[in-house]
Amino acid sequence: MDKMLDFRTVREETAGPRWQALFEYHWPAYEQWYLSEGERERPGYLACYNALRQHMPELLDTYRTLCKLAGGSDLAARFLSLYQPPPYITGCSQAVLASPSSTMLARNYDYPPELCEGTILYTHWNERRVIAMTDCLWGVLDGMNDRGLAVSLAFGGRKAVGQGFGAPIILRYLLEFCDTVPEASEVLARIPTHMAYNITVADSAGRYVTAMIAPDRRASIRRVPVATNHQKKIEWYAHALASETLIRERQLSILVDDEDTTEERLIAAFSSPPLFRHDYRRGLGTVYTAIYRPCSGRAQFHWPGLNLDLSFDHFPEERITVRYGVRGLNHG
Amino acid sequence: MLEYLTRLLRRLLGHTPADTSPQTAPGASPVSDGATTMSQIKTIADVRRYFLNNKEPVYFISATNFNLLGIGDWVGNFRHINYINCFDDQQRNVFVPKEKFPRDFESIEDINNYLLEHKEVIDFIQSRADGDNAGTAAFLMFDEHTEEVCKQLGLKVAFPPAELRSRMDNKIETVRIGNKAGVPSVPNVLAKVGSYQELCEVSKELGDDLVIQTAFGDSGHTTFFISNEDDYYKHAEEIEAESEVKIMKRINCRGSAIEACATRCGTVVGPLMTELVGFKTLTPYKGGWCGNEMFAGAFDQSVRDKAREYTFQFGEALREEGYRGYFELDFLIDMDNGEVYLGELNPRVTGASSLTNVAAFAHSDIPLFLFHLLEFSDVDFDLDINEINERWAHPESVDSWSQLVIKHTDESVDLLTQAPRTGVWKMAADGSLAYHHYDSHPHAAEDESEGFFLRISGVGDFRYEGADLGILITRGRLMDDDFQLNERAKAWIEGIRAQYAGQSLQDPVVEEVAVSHAVGGGNFKIL
Repeated sequence: MDKMLDFRTVREETAGPRWQALFEYHWPAYEQWYLSEGERERPGYLACYNALRQHMPELLDTYRTLCKLAGGSDLAARFLSLYQPPPYITGCSQAVLASPSSTMLARNYDYPPELCEGTILYTHWNERRVIAMTDCLWGVLDGMNDRGLAVSLAFGGRKAVGQGFGAPIILRYLLEFCDTVPEASEVLARIPTHMAYNITVADSAGRYVTAMIAPDRRASIRRVPVATNHQKKIEWYAHALASETLIRERQLSILVDDEDTTEERLIAAFSSPPLFRHDYRRGLGTVYTAIYRPCSGRAQFHWPGLNLDLSFDHFPEERITVRYGVRGLNHG
Repeated sequence: MLEYLTRLLRRLLGHTPADTSPQTAPGASPVSDGATTMSQIKTIADVRRYFLNNKEPVYFISATNFNLLGIGDWVGNFRHINYINCFDDQQRNVFVPKEKFPRDFESIEDINNYLLEHKEVIDFIQSRADGDNAGTAAFLMFDEHTEEVCKQLGLKVAFPPAELRSRMDNKIETVRIGNKAGVPSVPNVLAKVGSYQELCEVSKELGDDLVIQTAFGDSGHTTFFISNEDDYYKHAEEIEAESEVKIMKRINCRGSAIEACATRCGTVVGPLMTELVGFKTLTPYKGGWCGNEMFAGAFDQSVRDKAREYTFQFGEALREEGYRGYFELDFLIDMDNGEVYLGELNPRVTGASSLTNVAAFAHSDIPLFLFHLLEFSDVDFDLDINEINERWAHPESVDSWSQLVIKHTDESVDLLTQAPRTGVWKMAADGSLAYHHYDSHPHAAEDESEGFFLRISGVGDFRYEGADLGILITRGRLMDDDFQLNERAKAWIEGIRAQYAGQSLQDPVVEEVAVSHAVGGGNFKIL
């Protein structure tokens, strides 16, 4: 009944054998998922390449390197572009707490644990060093770079699917090529997404925004410090009910609006209901809590009873096994 | 460095730059063998040398390489990029991507676009490219999307634009061009048909026995034979969906095919071939094409002369329309009075190209397809086309070749567990077949006891009604003078079929999938 997930910290500045090993380990499962609607439903390699070239040209060199490490196959290259992947949904809560002296982005990732890679990757692929929780092998669920930008994504709670990229690669692009919230906002307004996502971005200067992006409407980018799983009004009631998106949003809004809320208080809130969720049976339980402090370059990952402290200067390679049970969550 | 040497040589030899072709392709260096310059191609020997020395990649991209078998022997750096691996990786100049998924292709264009967007194919093309110039691509079929992709990959398409080709391919348009060029069609009317009564009214002068064709369509799929109301209702839906159809008088005719190439120096015309049509042992489609025969005495001299003359005229008319390069015409020979009528135009290489480019005339001069490549190269040429046409018209230029396209003709569906290999097969005196040796060229079949077989459906493929099993090319004839399959043809068909074995699909679900695969557009025609 219990589900287990191994979290691993992997440090490889230039993509090489370690990333290749990750690819080989996860590819069979991803391949199955990528083909879940039939191969023909996914765009051809040239369309994927062209989409990347048009919207994120600076990422092409990294993409080529990874494709080569992945064995150069057609299907893997199409998958790695994250252009028009099969639709998928997640839960998640995220909030920014910014004061003149520090910025903190905290979030809970609510998802089926068996579908999470659990890889925290430290890379230096382009000009910036990046620490991020990966998805789809190089995409980013949440993370930060050494120029002081932190990002996090939450599903937008809408069924719309259209032409665009899976959000994790957009977050990767932000961390590889942006330093500030204004730069990131410009990118989020421009790059097409294939589903609705709420992307929260914070920088070391204390700026923050939440971008509600979707394939069927212009991005709404506002100075909002919290995001859960809906965009403006509720459209998908079943998902909203199951994920309790409104309750979580309300809780987070009260917390960040309260002048007395400290970083510790906000972090603690992520560890208990309604933000911390035990709904593992329906795939909406909290898999981990991440806290990014872009001013000091520190990242923390929390599970009940366990913390992992990482930074650009201190990034030990570790493996942590977490057990997700009906009665709670343990590490062991 | 090469450029510097070239300039130096030109100066030494007293040529001004204006003497040379302004747009010489890489590899088509004006310095032929270090001694003389070849600013303009004037002889067949020049053409041969030009292509043998070719360095710029030339690709034929298609489901199989059947249509241009053997062209690689004439053109340096020639590669086939195919979807079906007919040669099991034994053929060096055939590239087939390794990673493929079963797909229901809707057309050959669809296959070609899939290939051109495939990473392995793109990597292959780019690994052989010279900067932005990736070379030249030829296709059996392509569309506007293919053109866009080629542009991005740096490939020149060696054919007139898809839009023009598509207009020329329209059977109704063909009649109009023929009329303009003085090439008659079978008595016909072009009209929109909404009911049987309407059909009768517009076709009064054509008699009761009618043949209706739609503007586009191939090999028996869209040709309807109608002599009464019942016949009409069998096809009414397809006929009435068209904005205009070609309604012909049904004549007692034989099908023939002739291939030609419209060049700036005139239209080069190949020999007239007979067509194998609708044989039940080969194809399940009534009126469907299933092969060709080429031999010096195919039809009377007067018919051959007329067909060649018409083809030349048609080629010149095509040039006026802006079309150039390879094309094929079907002529219908009226067996009652020897009249030669224009059937249809295929503005492309075709299934018959495999014979046109194989015969003695092609090897004593150059294959017809080389005129096409020449027309689409940047090189300047001035060839005496009349002289070539006269030589090719001579009976001694035409040796005898035949081909059979063997389809699965039963309604059954099964999974192939055994299939004959591509190469030369030999028939023993008792009619049994045995694999003789691997080869990629039909010439390897030395006499009538041998045949070159190109395997299309292989182990692991579904065998369904209409599936292409393979193509046999052999020396000599396969029909008798009454246009019936001869005993040798029957023995070959039986022998090849006997090499296939399949596993029946017990599971009804699997069978249903297989049938829908076959019915739902999966049975693309490779030719």
